[in-house]
Amino acid sequence: MAGRVLDAGLDLFDRQLLDKDARLAGKVDDLEFSFPEGGGPPHVTAILAGPGALAGRLGGRLGAWLEGLANRLRDSQERRPARIPFGVVKRIGSCVDLSVAKEELETDRVDAWIGDHVISRIPGARHAPE
Amino acid sequence: MRKVFEIALGILTAIGGFVDIGDIVANTETGARFGMSLAWVVVVGVVGICVFAEMAGRVATVSGRPVFDLVRERLGARVALVNLLASFFITFLTLAAEIGGVALAIELATSVNYLLWIPLVAFLVWFVVWRVKFQVMENVFGLLGLALIVVAVALWRLHPDWGGLIHGATHPAVPKGEGHPTWWYFAIALLGAAMTPYEVFFFSSGAVEDGWTRSDLMVNRANVYIGFPLGGLLSLTLMVMATLFFEPRGIEPGHLSQVALSTALVLGKLGLAVLLVGFFAATFGAALETALSCGYTVAQYFGFQWGKFVRPTEAPRFHLVTLLSIVLGAGLVLSTLDPIKVTEYSIVLSAAALPLTYFPILLVANDPDYMGDKVNSRLGNAIGSLYLALLLVVAVVTIPLMILTKAGS
Amino acid sequence: MRSRIAALLLVAIVCGCTGPVRSFNVYASKGGKTAKAVVSAVETARLAVSAAARDRAYGRYLGQVLAEAERDATAAQGTFDAIQPPDRRTDRLREELDGLLTPTLSSLADLRIAARRGDLVDLPRLAAPLAGLSKRLDDFAQAHQ
Repeated sequence: MAGRVLDAGLDLFDRQLLDKDARLAGKVDDLEFSFPEGGGPPHVTAILAGPGALAGRLGGRLGAWLEGLANRLRDSQERRPARIPFGVVKRIGSCVDLSVAKEELETDRVDAWIGDHVISRIPGARHAPE
Repeated sequence: MRKVFEIALGILTAIGGFVDIGDIVANTETGARFGMSLAWVVVVGVVGICVFAEMAGRVATVSGRPVFDLVRERLGARVALVNLLASFFITFLTLAAEIGGVALAIELATSVNYLLWIPLVAFLVWFVVWRVKFQVMENVFGLLGLALIVVAVALWRLHPDWGGLIHGATHPAVPKGEGHPTWWYFAIALLGAAMTPYEVFFFSSGAVEDGWTRSDLMVNRANVYIGFPLGGLLSLTLMVMATLFFEPRGIEPGHLSQVALSTALVLGKLGLAVLLVGFFAATFGAALETALSCGYTVAQYFGFQWGKFVRPTEAPRFHLVTLLSIVLGAGLVLSTLDPIKVTEYSIVLSAAALPLTYFPILLVANDPDYMGDKVNSRLGNAIGSLYLALLLVVAVVTIPLMILTKAGS
Repeated sequence: MRSRIAALLLVAIVCGCTGPVRSFNVYASKGGKTAKAVVSAVETARLAVSAAARDRAYGRYLGQVLAEAERDATAAQGTFDAIQPPDRRTDRLREELDGLLTPTLSSLADLRIAARRGDLVDLPRLAAPLAGLSKRLDDFAQAHQ
């Protein structure tokens, strides 16, 4: 994707993420920037999603509380928020369309865990919506 | 022809689904204490929810996304989180009250203590949310809720002094022996009962669950502009019955059983039985809506997949939040807190939280990015802004009034 | 600062609850409120009995209405009795109110027992004293607002 100059505040943060099948995959909670070697403005290298990322942006007591919650939900080792490399971003419009399926994203871990350990255990979980 | 049927069904389910335990409690208690002097508040409340529900429905229909989903994009993560916390809290409290209400309704029919019914009710609510198709759920409980019309039938049979009632309603005055602060406190409770936030979240998300598109905007408008006012009229009949039966006798109703007395006296055992079905349907339907709304609000803030239109394994966090809300809500009423008291607090706190929950609707409904050419009209904005100003005043005075009047005692 | 305001609010709310009462007027008004609450329960019971007399309601439902009415009246009396009367003048007020409450609660209990047993035909007879008691309780409540 060619470089585009966006007002991250208006056009990127808190946007809904849609995977390649138009399923909801979280929101843009935070962005990872990196500064290019030869100087110049920073560019976005990844979208950060999940409560840990959001906590960072919220700041204050609210953020700290959310971060604590997130850390408890996550695998112990990983302390950094879930990351979606910007390369998989297909289109930025009213939502942010991704070119991969939800399951391939790091952010899907909690969903997958809850799905496997809680929801699937309940009979009827895999029923198509009737 | 099909469209006409659809619209008719939508209107009927809107009427049947309008009344919940909050409306039952608020209208009956107000009628008993203040007669018809606060009937105007129900009118104000119904107009308010019509305006905002139509907006919320239109937002979801045109943009394909429910209002709450768009709040975070429009207001930012921080403000939207405060909105989420307030909305979730009162929706949760309302859920607990509705579960209690269902248990009370079953207790009336069986004489078995309501506490024993709560676990079963919670399980049933969850089961319907888990397995029953959205449209079926909406239609069954919406239509069953129409059983409450039996109260209107009873009222009709009574041949009351209509002139006197209308006079009382159109000349609002604080009755002798009651204080102004208490009168206003009950007004706030009535407003909160009519304009419950969960109604808007559910209506908006429901538009997406039902797969509404632009061609359904007519259905949206009909449901709201015809269904809701008729539903409001139904809650007013509860106020009238309380005015006729309780006020002259000095009865201050604190039990669901008392609400049923007036209908029983006029229509006998059959009327009583129909009314109990109505109580059950109204509270159970509302329990479903509030449970789903707990899930909708959390999922839509964080961007998780939500909805009954996907299989549960595709929306695990949404279903987990819904399940937990039901369990915790049931736990709250199992703690032997009087469900009627929980209801009273839920409607008053709902009123206080209204500006927070309604302001984003007005904002989003004006945004051409989401709405295209279907943004609010100038009239719509004028009314909406007027209401927001009113709701802000209400929000500010609620807690002081609650303390001053000792929660309306 | 915020915690201080919270503490003040808490005190304001708690002070609304019962405790020892200093003046006759306050005690009398609490008596009046008790009477009013009992009138509400009594009138509910009378409505239920009238429904029974005209065979307008199921026995189970009536049993519940009457049981709740009795419970409400008992609770009102209990709350009032727990208040320490400040002086002898209030003692007389207390006797007066108790004189009304005791037969009332007794009738309500009779009604509840009969309804739960299914003896619906007995209800009007058992409710007869309540008409007069209700009026006197109402007068008391009006006199001591």
